Amino acid sequence: MHCRGKAWAAAALAGAIIVTSACGGEDEGAGRTNEGGAPDGQKKHTITMIDFRYGAFPPTGGKGLQMINEKFNVDFKPQYVVRSDYDQKLSAIVASGDIPDIIVMEGPDSNFYKWAKQGAFLPLNELLDKYPTMKLIPDNIRKAVTVNGKIYAIQKYLTENYQLTPVIRKDWLDRLGLAVPKNYDELKQVAIAFTKNDPDGNGKHDTYGLAMSANINPSYAMGAYWDLEAWYHQNADGQLIPGMISEARKQHIAWLADLYKEGAITKDFALLNWAQTNKEFYSGKAGIFIGTPRGMNPTYMQGLVDLSPNAQIVPIPPFQAPDGSQGFVSSPGFYGIVMLNAKLAKEPDKVAKIMEMIDYGRKFVPLEQRNAGNADFDWLNGKEGQGYTIENGNVRREVEEKGLAPINYLPDKTMWAPNDAANGYSKEYTVPLLRDLAASLEKMHGETKHLVNPINEVFSETRAAKDTELSRFLYTEQTKMIFGEKPLSDWDAMVKEWSDKGGAQIIKEVNESLKANGYAGPQWK
Amino acid sequence: MRHRTWGERCIDIANVLLLGFIALAMLAPFWYVAAVSFASYKEFLQRDIVWFPKEWVLSAYEYIFASESFVRSVGVTVLVTVIGTAVNLACTSTFAYTLSRPVIGQRVMLVLVLFTLLFSAGMIPTYLIVKETGLLNSIWALILPIAINPFNLIVMRQFFVGMPGELHEAAVMDGANELKVFWNIMLPLSKPSLAAFALFYAVMHWNNYFTGILYLNEPEKWPIQVILRQMIVVGEAQTALGSGHILLEHAPPAETVQMAAIIVATVPILVVYPFLQKHFAKGVMLGSVKG
Repeated sequence: MHCRGKAWAAAALAGAIIVTSACGGEDEGAGRTNEGGAPDGQKKHTITMIDFRYGAFPPTGGKGLQMINEKFNVDFKPQYVVRSDYDQKLSAIVASGDIPDIIVMEGPDSNFYKWAKQGAFLPLNELLDKYPTMKLIPDNIRKAVTVNGKIYAIQKYLTENYQLTPVIRKDWLDRLGLAVPKNYDELKQVAIAFTKNDPDGNGKHDTYGLAMSANINPSYAMGAYWDLEAWYHQNADGQLIPGMISEARKQHIAWLADLYKEGAITKDFALLNWAQTNKEFYSGKAGIFIGTPRGMNPTYMQGLVDLSPNAQIVPIPPFQAPDGSQGFVSSPGFYGIVMLNAKLAKEPDKVAKIMEMIDYGRKFVPLEQRNAGNADFDWLNGKEGQGYTIENGNVRREVEEKGLAPINYLPDKTMWAPNDAANGYSKEYTVPLLRDLAASLEKMHGETKHLVNPINEVFSETRAAKDTELSRFLYTEQTKMIFGEKPLSDWDAMVKEWSDKGGAQIIKEVNESLKANGYAGPQWK
Repeated sequence: MRHRTWGERCIDIANVLLLGFIALAMLAPFWYVAAVSFASYKEFLQRDIVWFPKEWVLSAYEYIFASESFVRSVGVTVLVTVIGTAVNLACTSTFAYTLSRPVIGQRVMLVLVLFTLLFSAGMIPTYLIVKETGLLNSIWALILPIAINPFNLIVMRQFFVGMPGELHEAAVMDGANELKVFWNIMLPLSKPSLAAFALFYAVMHWNNYFTGILYLNEPEKWPIQVILRQMIVVGEAQTALGSGHILLEHAPPAETVQMAAIIVATVPILVVYPFLQKHFAKGVMLGSVKG
């Protein structure tokens, strides 16, 4: 009898397997039958999407999702994947041929170009200018997602000029009677003084200058001239080259090596990850780090305020370069891209619906109107009192995990602002120190020029395939030079090896594309 | 007690020291994770390394258990582990027993199994199979594609082969059919090896995250490892932002919360070990030494 009971349990288990897998199959089939029907204006479209998230995910049936379905009369079925494994999952899905209607990616990587060339995405050339928020995407920025003359993606907004730039502990400067540095010599003196003269006044030798993590990051380039990412300098043949192999970078590495010898840079930086390096600065050990107006971490900053209530942080404005230029590099001007499935070409109504949804999420709302008074803002954020509240004039949104607001689900929720300052990022912070720092960074960026980085407008196949590996090589070599394990005289050999491994091909491809685009020398904005 | 020479004692002391040191090296990272999970964020920032929090706080755990998705994902993992291990044992033991008997095509079957041990189809073909069998977005996708581990299967087969043939003969003489022999004789005899494989399989299911990411589309169905990865990876992602045009929009959970998540995700499976340990040591060796 006892045995029979067990046997039944086993049979039930086997039955359960069959039933459940059959259910899975039905679900799938149901999704498919709704697609591809006759186009009909009144028909309720099922719209599928695949997107990624770094942090928490909105739930499957959240309030925000229902709001979208009601407003646009659709059945919106998004799925989200953790960013670190997104590329692999997306590859599997694209290979399976069952591509969702909307595909969101972080940027145009080599997969994007591959799939675009294979015809996986819908060309958007004629559509973009029909929608006000997409019309705003500047032509030079569109080039990054243009393949053979066809624009394949809607680019999400990113401030043009708000990059991460160096910031410094003003309270430490004041205690030591120093001013905010204006050139590399002064910055060196300050960094050494932070290391040796007890800037926090606790009588202990426990502080230093520059916080740094693996890959010489941040690199403390005080302008486009020294920036490793900027294609600003030229080689002997008149070709543009990446900052990473330029003469300016060589001098910069020598400068860092000097500081490292003085103990003014994080000692084991080559082994630290970004979180650990943040800790170096926000725990009050290092006095110089980087900051940006948008998206800084309030938890970190509150940690610093708790430890040293008198902390003050100010930006270090760009230095004047030997060639007279002065200013940081601008960003690619977009972050995140939204593509449509090429198969949608047969369903113009559905495309119109999707474009309407995307356009709606991108609508700009001026800072002073971000409250229940503005119907668009109120709806996008899930209505006051439900999706968000207003505290002391600041919008406090519910966490994404609750899925209470349509912006938690929409493919693009970033407002396309008319200019950087209109975003009012600094005013959204609740930690006063962070608010002040962000405001002074906004002011600094508003007052200085920025180099339009030509690399953002072109695509090089070799670069897409090899850049990661080649950069790692350069980082390793340059880290050794800072550590003093390798002499700086090895620089030319390093550049040569880089060129031979594929760097020369990258330079050639980039310069050819630039020529085709009509590039005519550095452009400052 | 036998008198021990000076040399022997020296070796003993050296052994204890060496093994103690190795054990400590294994334990230290885990202890650190536990200590940080109970420390306040301020203390974590302030001290270089936290071995013993000055002030024990539970805020990190409160944060985690307030998160619906985290608690739910623990439930999913427990479910997948229990059902998955049961399926694994059922499939592996029956198949292994069959292969240990002189059945037609046994050689061919064995070669096919060995083949999968050496070569695998890779991610995309496997995905296609899971998709076409309709398992996508169902927790069975985490269980059925890995229902049998070929290595475990072969070890278990060896175990059955090693059993005295007389046992089988005697049972048949008494009128038992193959199923009965398997169920009433062979399975009870192989409890130690079943326990060992149960542990292997359970740990595999518990730690599995990638199939969850690949095959499940709804966050509600994700196991704990996917959620854990998501929490830890946010911190990591920011390492890559050298250039700074990626936004730090989604603040990662504080390190103390990350550590607490690791503890919650690790301790349950760790607790299973002592219970199965005694079978484990015995079972692993079985089958390796044949009569």
